[in-house]
Amino acid sequence: MKALRIVPEKCTGCLRCELACSYMQTGAFQPAKSVIRVSPYEGHTSYAPYTCTQCDEGWCMAACPVGAITITAAGAKDVVDDRCVGCKLCTIACPYGTIFYDPDTHKAFKCNLCDGAPACAEACPTAAILYEDVAAADWLADFAVERSARLLAVGGR
Amino acid sequence: MTGTALRAPTQARPRTETRAVLGGYAGKLLRVNLTTGKIRAEPWTPEEMRLWVGGVGLGAKILYDEVGPRVHWDHPENRLIMATGPLAGLPVWGTGGLTVVTRGALTDGATSTQANGFFGACLKFSGYDAIIIQGQARRWVYLYINDDVVELRDARHLLGKDTWECQDVLSAEHGLTGHQMSVYSIGPAGENLVRFAAIQGDYGHVASKNGCGAVMGKKRLKAVSIVRGTRALDAADPRGVVQAADDIAHDLKTDPSARSLYEWGTLPAVVNLYKMGVLPIKNYTTNVAPAGVEMADWEAPKLRHGFDHRGHQCSACGMHHCHMQVIPRGKHKGELVDEPEYEGWSGAGWQIGLLDKESIAWLNTRIDRASVDVNEFGWVCGWVMEGMEKGYITKAQLGFELRWGDLEGAARLLDMISHRKGFGNLLAEGVKVAAEKLGGAAQEAAIYTLKGASPRGHDHRGRWEEMLDTCTASTGTLESGVPAHVTEVGLPARINPFSGEEVARQVAGILGRRHFEDSLGICSFTTRTRLENVCRALSAATGWLYTVDECVRFGRRTAAILRAFNLRCGIGPETERPSARYGSAPLDGPAKGQAIMDQWEKMLDSWYAGVGYDRKTGRPTPETLRKLGLDWLRKDLWGKKR
Repeated sequence: MKALRIVPEKCTGCLRCELACSYMQTGAFQPAKSVIRVSPYEGHTSYAPYTCTQCDEGWCMAACPVGAITITAAGAKDVVDDRCVGCKLCTIACPYGTIFYDPDTHKAFKCNLCDGAPACAEACPTAAILYEDVAAADWLADFAVERSARLLAVGGR
Repeated sequence: MTGTALRAPTQARPRTETRAVLGGYAGKLLRVNLTTGKIRAEPWTPEEMRLWVGGVGLGAKILYDEVGPRVHWDHPENRLIMATGPLAGLPVWGTGGLTVVTRGALTDGATSTQANGFFGACLKFSGYDAIIIQGQARRWVYLYINDDVVELRDARHLLGKDTWECQDVLSAEHGLTGHQMSVYSIGPAGENLVRFAAIQGDYGHVASKNGCGAVMGKKRLKAVSIVRGTRALDAADPRGVVQAADDIAHDLKTDPSARSLYEWGTLPAVVNLYKMGVLPIKNYTTNVAPAGVEMADWEAPKLRHGFDHRGHQCSACGMHHCHMQVIPRGKHKGELVDEPEYEGWSGAGWQIGLLDKESIAWLNTRIDRASVDVNEFGWVCGWVMEGMEKGYITKAQLGFELRWGDLEGAARLLDMISHRKGFGNLLAEGVKVAAEKLGGAAQEAAIYTLKGASPRGHDHRGRWEEMLDTCTASTGTLESGVPAHVTEVGLPARINPFSGEEVARQVAGILGRRHFEDSLGICSFTTRTRLENVCRALSAATGWLYTVDECVRFGRRTAAILRAFNLRCGIGPETERPSARYGSAPLDGPAKGQAIMDQWEKMLDSWYAGVGYDRKTGRPTPETLRKLGLDWLRKDLWGKKR
């Protein structure tokens, strides 16, 4: 299955993915409603984007009491707006924090891989986000541990 | 974004917020009165948007309307306008743009100076296109913006902090990091009203020209902090914006004139300008590198890869331009700095005879953190160093020995200037005032324009376009800027750089483009594409049909308003000259013997004819104003009869 592979070392923190994502998801440029979010590490010196890995277990899906989360043709877990009752259980269940609640629409929302052509991957100027045929994984875990644990060391990355 | 560009959004989410605002705009201006503490949002109309666009276009109009001749730079009623534009926050590269417009402290005239980072994007997502700051706070405050929450908050705990510390503290206080909050602040130089104080933000971006930081300091405004807003920005034709962005990006990556900028930012300029005699070395005393210095060691890859470095781009930008780096060795090993731009390598390096790369990188960031303009610092510091060497500035005056390339001495001088200590109090007035005070040989050696504005970090004796531009500009710095894609506006691709006539025609011919770029909320490096592409991005954002003709006309209208403002302030054509050293002929190097002053008057004649201004009074002619659609300005400048 194709998944979004994140290469955090390549991210320069320009946040262009958030603009592209919010446009595809909402029709306007509004990073606050993007489902890919760029997190800063080590203060302001390194950045990495993060979004739903479309994990196999799908705790969001398991937690949803009304069965509003389905798997799309692109293999993405997606929220069916008509069924979602806005209870936020999925946002609590997700261990990665990549499913969100929109107070304007009273619905949960998450990455749906843009139906198989993710806008974030197309928008990234440094190829830090790739859409590839790989097993889904937590691309950021090692990076986050490393960048959170140490200060910027001389000579290394 | 090419793959997705032609498809509609997958899932049109119901939008609770219905907006009747023109695409690309947030639709409101934020007016902050520091004297009364009153803050209000003022809507502006689509007609006004088309006329004034944003950035310097909008700022120039507000400045002209609201700042009278008796409101000098340090008067509470002076305006500090922090404006962005219609492309800020959109996915075109480099769209975090900020333009500061004010009556500046160095020339006491109009100012237009740009910075980037995320300021423009954060402001737009918060719902505002510009901030107009007026009045003077009784106590030091900072402005906090978080969507509809806009407050003036006590800044006493930030006093004395440099600009990076200020951003660290404010981010930590709000539990935010990185680009979650954009902070533009002043350091000690701004607090102490150094006449070339800058406004610095987002770790390494500086609105540096004409002492805008001193204006902010006079208003007792320590910082402007904007939480990344949550509002939506619409575009009239969002897919059109993305397509124009892709075309611009393609151009920047492949066009020979922009490609090195794409790959290395401004770093290649060190060697490239050296080869033209345009890299300033030791206060214009030579244009030849010292024996033993290999210019191959100053190529861009050597400058970047000598450090642990990381991309640190502005909003939506794919240029390999801004970087953070760590100093790998020496006394300041391990310190985090902003990779110096070309201007840093020259102003904090070659101009003061400092050729140790780690030292330059450290000093350059110290200058930013103090909120000092790196160009003027170079002209001041290099001038003091030459004065010490030649004996017209003494150790007794300065308090210590300062020799060429002395890092610790330069840092000490920076501290004296930033805090106005001892001799630093005079130097804080800028090199022009200091040189005129000392007079004689000291004055002969100083690099400045008679207007008081600092030249950029070049030796303009080898780049006549910029000397003419710096001297005639109304913005406190370059006004027309670098000629990019000049054939698009009917100018020759190449000229003889030492023919005054050709230079003047070229500089006059490109007037307007820069004002247009600086009105969009975008970086002038990411607009180094055909103007047509930029116009296309603007048209897609707003729904206008904006042509190259309209953008040139708009730019020239803005230039005419800024000029009228300066004339009203008493800054006329008599100040359009370089100082003795600035206008001298180089003694060696590639531009040896090229004497611009031999042709100066003729150059001015041609320039004035080219831009349509009156040579004697400096005023845009009634005919020019009529063509630009500035009848109201014609009445102001020429009276009702003309």
